[in-house]
Amino acid sequence: MEVLLQVLIGGVLLGGLYALVAFGLSLIYGVVRILNFAHGTLLAVSGVLASLAYASWQLHPLLIAVLLAPLLFVCAYGYYQVLLRPLSKRNHFESTVGTVLVTVGTLMILSDLTAKAAGATQRNIPLRLEALEFGEIVISTTQLLILLGIALLTVVMHLILTCTWFGRAVRAVTQDPVGAQICGVQSTRMKALTFAFGSATVAVAAVLYVLSFPVDPYMGFGLTVKAFTIIVVGGVGNLPGALLAGIFLGVAEGLTGLYWKPEWAPALSVVLMLLILVAFPKGVGVKA
Amino acid sequence: MKHGMSRTAGWLTGGAGVLALAVLPFVGNAYITTIAFTVLIAYILGQSWDWVAGEMGYVNLGHYCFYGIGAYAFSIALVGQWPLVVAIGFAVLITALAALVISVPLFRLHGDYFAFGTLALLPLMEVLAYNLTPVTNGADGIVLPVEQVLKPAYLISLGVCVLTFIVTLRINAARFGYALKSIRNDEQVAETVGVRIAPVKRRVLMLSAGFGAVAGALQAWQMSYIDPATVFGLNVALVPVAMVLFAGSGLRWGPLVGVLVLATLQQWLLVSVKGFQATLYGLIVLLIGRFMPGGFLRARWVRRVPLLSALAREHHEYMGESDAQAALQVAKDGTAVALPLPRIQPESGKPLIELQNVCMQFGGNVAVNDVSLSIRQGEIVGLIGPNGSGKTTLFNCISRVYTPTGGRVMFAGQDLSQASRDEIARLGVGRTYQIPRPFGDLTVQENIAIPLMFNEAPLSPRDAMREARSFIEYAELSHRLRDRADSLSVQERKALEFARALACKPRLLLVDEVASGLTPVEVQRFVEHIRHVRDRYGITVIWVEHIFSALEKVVDRVIVLEQGSLIADGPLSQVVKDERVLSTYLGSAAQASTKTKAQKSPQRAEGVV
Repeated sequence: MEVLLQVLIGGVLLGGLYALVAFGLSLIYGVVRILNFAHGTLLAVSGVLASLAYASWQLHPLLIAVLLAPLLFVCAYGYYQVLLRPLSKRNHFESTVGTVLVTVGTLMILSDLTAKAAGATQRNIPLRLEALEFGEIVISTTQLLILLGIALLTVVMHLILTCTWFGRAVRAVTQDPVGAQICGVQSTRMKALTFAFGSATVAVAAVLYVLSFPVDPYMGFGLTVKAFTIIVVGGVGNLPGALLAGIFLGVAEGLTGLYWKPEWAPALSVVLMLLILVAFPKGVGVKA
Repeated sequence: MKHGMSRTAGWLTGGAGVLALAVLPFVGNAYITTIAFTVLIAYILGQSWDWVAGEMGYVNLGHYCFYGIGAYAFSIALVGQWPLVVAIGFAVLITALAALVISVPLFRLHGDYFAFGTLALLPLMEVLAYNLTPVTNGADGIVLPVEQVLKPAYLISLGVCVLTFIVTLRINAARFGYALKSIRNDEQVAETVGVRIAPVKRRVLMLSAGFGAVAGALQAWQMSYIDPATVFGLNVALVPVAMVLFAGSGLRWGPLVGVLVLATLQQWLLVSVKGFQATLYGLIVLLIGRFMPGGFLRARWVRRVPLLSALAREHHEYMGESDAQAALQVAKDGTAVALPLPRIQPESGKPLIELQNVCMQFGGNVAVNDVSLSIRQGEIVGLIGPNGSGKTTLFNCISRVYTPTGGRVMFAGQDLSQASRDEIARLGVGRTYQIPRPFGDLTVQENIAIPLMFNEAPLSPRDAMREARSFIEYAELSHRLRDRADSLSVQERKALEFARALACKPRLLLVDEVASGLTPVEVQRFVEHIRHVRDRYGITVIWVEHIFSALEKVVDRVIVLEQGSLIADGPLSQVVKDERVLSTYLGSAAQASTKTKAQKSPQRAEGVV
């Protein structure tokens, strides 16, 4: 029983992190209509960077996140303007395959260069605070803090989306790009900003991730697959839906590891996604 | 004449090239042969990928899965002491079956989602290969019980390459190829002109998978060892795709040229750059995606280079008819063009189409509300009503673009409840769309030929192309015969849309606002066309239109919809006096004033509407 509860807590934690990855991807997909295949890899690379920064300079994880986010924002903004935006002028087939190739190429370059520079080993931030015991169940303070971080980030994202001009514009473009443009939303600028913002959220997610689970340069695409499954289940641009779907996936993976074999857990999300698509071709989640 | 000569020269050059490649392993060293072998394998992979992507428009990023499954199935069979041919056959069979199974969820996806779903198969397969240890030997991989087989592997793959190219030519000349091309352009329209898309999609994926499996099997045989990373790795999976896109997906020579250039470059880089292969592949993939996702063969300068311009020809540029064929005059029927349509014998008394309490609900919105009507054969019926009154939705319910949420549609005594879109089209329901939806990257002639290839009495592409000329002449589009449909003006598109609906050889023609936005002369032409197809060929017509002056010239009666409900049904002159119709169109105040005027001079009231 204790083991089950422990697994459940771990699953919720992992799922919450998946959901954070999905938030950014979902925002980007909703506004820019680009599936960024390198999104998860960005998290893996940021995670490696964060762990290196912690190991070399003993920076506080929070500080790392604060430093990393603007860096990613700027890089992603430039990346979008230089590599992705010109493709949107091409016809449908060409812009689809073009963006796929650009982002997949980025994925390959990022993981290979990171592996060459920092080694292909698994890394994390070994920040260990004292554990809290509730009867038989042991929760580390780190885990609690991460859960808190996930909740906080979700709330902040939700507030940004509902209470700021930027957030409303994001939702408007997600629902109807032309309509938003007619109402004065500069959709080209919005696309670049959303791409940058969605990528910057990865910095926070990466630091939280690397605090509790190890990262390596090649794990990124697996994360992208999970994030995409979450979007399919939760609905594009729907944060609460993504959070629920993420937790569901995390717990399901935990239970697969507990009752079957942990090595099958990575396959779960793909199979789940395919099954869901058979049952609900248009996604299960309510559109935000 | 010139055309024929260049064709012969092409075949000769091709034959000589294949022959030269065939003697290569006997004159060159093992190193050269190995490089040539990887190029051949890359061509099989790239071209078979392009059947799904270039021809059908589905970007299958998981094509490498088929390569991997084929490699594993082959290796397992070979370890089990099966003969080579049987092992290859086994690999093809298993892979095609796998393609059949995964086609069920995959083809529920479109566009980006399809691309993603297929790419996600790669990590899934990798996990399977690592963990199904009893079958796949896990991370250790499988060592094949073979010695040096480079020469036979090379020769077999050369043969398969030639076969792949021939299959490509065959696909492009066959009805199957046109089914793929119609799917690429617009699946829904493809169905409403009679193409059964589901089996076509399944078959092309299985075909593509089969060839991918052969490539995997041959590669495994030559390397005599496989493990999960080499056959399912993300790093290598997209290289064949990038090669095809580099030169031009969907072009006859695109995959071949792209593979030749890039595979050679790749071999050179593999030797000269150490350690950063994945980065390098990534960079190539990225640059191709950024700068030439349409392929360099489609760039403008290529058209001016003599040899390259021949390689850059789009598929439909090969569809040239001989001069004798082109000179053939289209048969005339008096002054009008004689269409190759059967003359439908009038069956008096029986309704051709009968709607019984048809409802269409979208969530809480009732778009069509309990509509019952019956139309006899040979009638021309106008369907009118304000914008948003459910006219187009009613058409969509009949042609099964929507599945009605209630009621029944009976066509020629047959219940259409269980019929699919393409079945309904083949039963004899042709339709136009309000905003014309031609198959944009096909020619005008091909647009008309596709319904002729997929109706009850299907024609071969060659015959369909010939028969299409009558319809094109009828639509006065002969001067645009070989032009791509997306280059047409709005008027021309509407004419094409109407002609394509006629080419479905319909008994019932659903015409959706074909005349709106046209000049009076053009409107008059459609009026005459609609009258002509009824009088001459007995086609029943339902015409949605707002232009009353056009309707009154041809319709036998009109049906009025308002907010999804049928509110009037009768001759136009009576319907325009109907109070509900008047209030629907003009509001109650106008109705009151019209009423007083109408009492004074009944004739003028008709003009108001």
